[in-house]
Amino acid sequence: MSSTSGGFLPVRIKVKNAETGASVEMELEMENTIDEVIESAATFWSKDMGAYVLRKGKKVLRGGNSLKDAGLRADDVLELIPDPEGG
Amino acid sequence: MDLASISGAKVLMIGAGALGNEVAKDLVLSGFRKVTIVDMDHVVGSNLNRCLFFSREDARDKRMKAEVVAEGMLGLSAESRPNPIVGRIQDQPCRLFGDHNIVLGCLDNIEARIHANAHSYSAGRVYIDGGMEGFLGKVMVARPPKGACLQCGMNRTHAKVASLRFSCTGRDVVFHEPKLAAEITTTSIISAVMVREALKAVSGHPEMLLNNAFYYDGQRNSSEEMEIPLDSECPVHLCGRRATGKRKRFKST
Repeated sequence: MSSTSGGFLPVRIKVKNAETGASVEMELEMENTIDEVIESAATFWSKDMGAYVLRKGKKVLRGGNSLKDAGLRADDVLELIPDPEGG
Repeated sequence: MDLASISGAKVLMIGAGALGNEVAKDLVLSGFRKVTIVDMDHVVGSNLNRCLFFSREDARDKRMKAEVVAEGMLGLSAESRPNPIVGRIQDQPCRLFGDHNIVLGCLDNIEARIHANAHSYSAGRVYIDGGMEGFLGKVMVARPPKGACLQCGMNRTHAKVASLRFSCTGRDVVFHEPKLAAEITTTSIISAVMVREALKAVSGHPEMLLNNAFYYDGQRNSSEEMEIPLDSECPVHLCGRRATGKRKRFKST
């Protein structure tokens, strides 16, 4: 997702895996969406097919928002958590 | 708690699996009497280690879960008035939501959750949704006409798995994801939170209800409340605005 073209400076965001405690640093552009971050992180950790959400602190981030819209900044720490759907 | 309101309230409980069994038990022991139970499935053997009301005979005879749970509730309280409906919630008339005071979702798939959430919101009924996966659990309370709904917290990963069923059986179902969906200690906690929120809502204490979502992690022994911002592009809220002719954009809170 990183790119230096188009005048967009990449930012580094850390994403933690709530299930394992592992973390990964992702180089992203502010125009990248939360959906893209979720899918990239899930793919990186070879997550099972399922629903996941990304949170910052106690707030669940909206999938369609860009990092900019979500108010994220460089060095922010996010957490990928499964959204339990069984009953 | 307002016991008269609780015993007179009409509750719509959707789903009679592991979570539905526990919620039904908690409802009837908390004083709820009029509970409509909607479920399309029959009992199978692998349900038995996590479902209070199901027996081997029920599995052998392939009895319908909604009917077995209704019988179980009557067994706990002769005053209860359970009303089982066998079928998919999507196939029930829309008025079913408005005919009840509160809706509890004990479902195993996103598609049915989206349906229950949208119809509850449209009918102006508090919707309490429970979900589990192994030692993880979540309870979300949607409180129309204000605030976020269940769908506000969904993203593209939810859309991809919307039609899958997160079965705890892995057998005798049309679609399933082979996950450990139901683990009884998690189920007990999530069902208790759901029914406690129902008690608050029906007793006229909306200020005491959960704000958005409660997450429980049994492996870490942690629980916390998380904010789900209202999504101005959420179909539930877009439809609501069209229905009322309002064009004002919602602000995320």
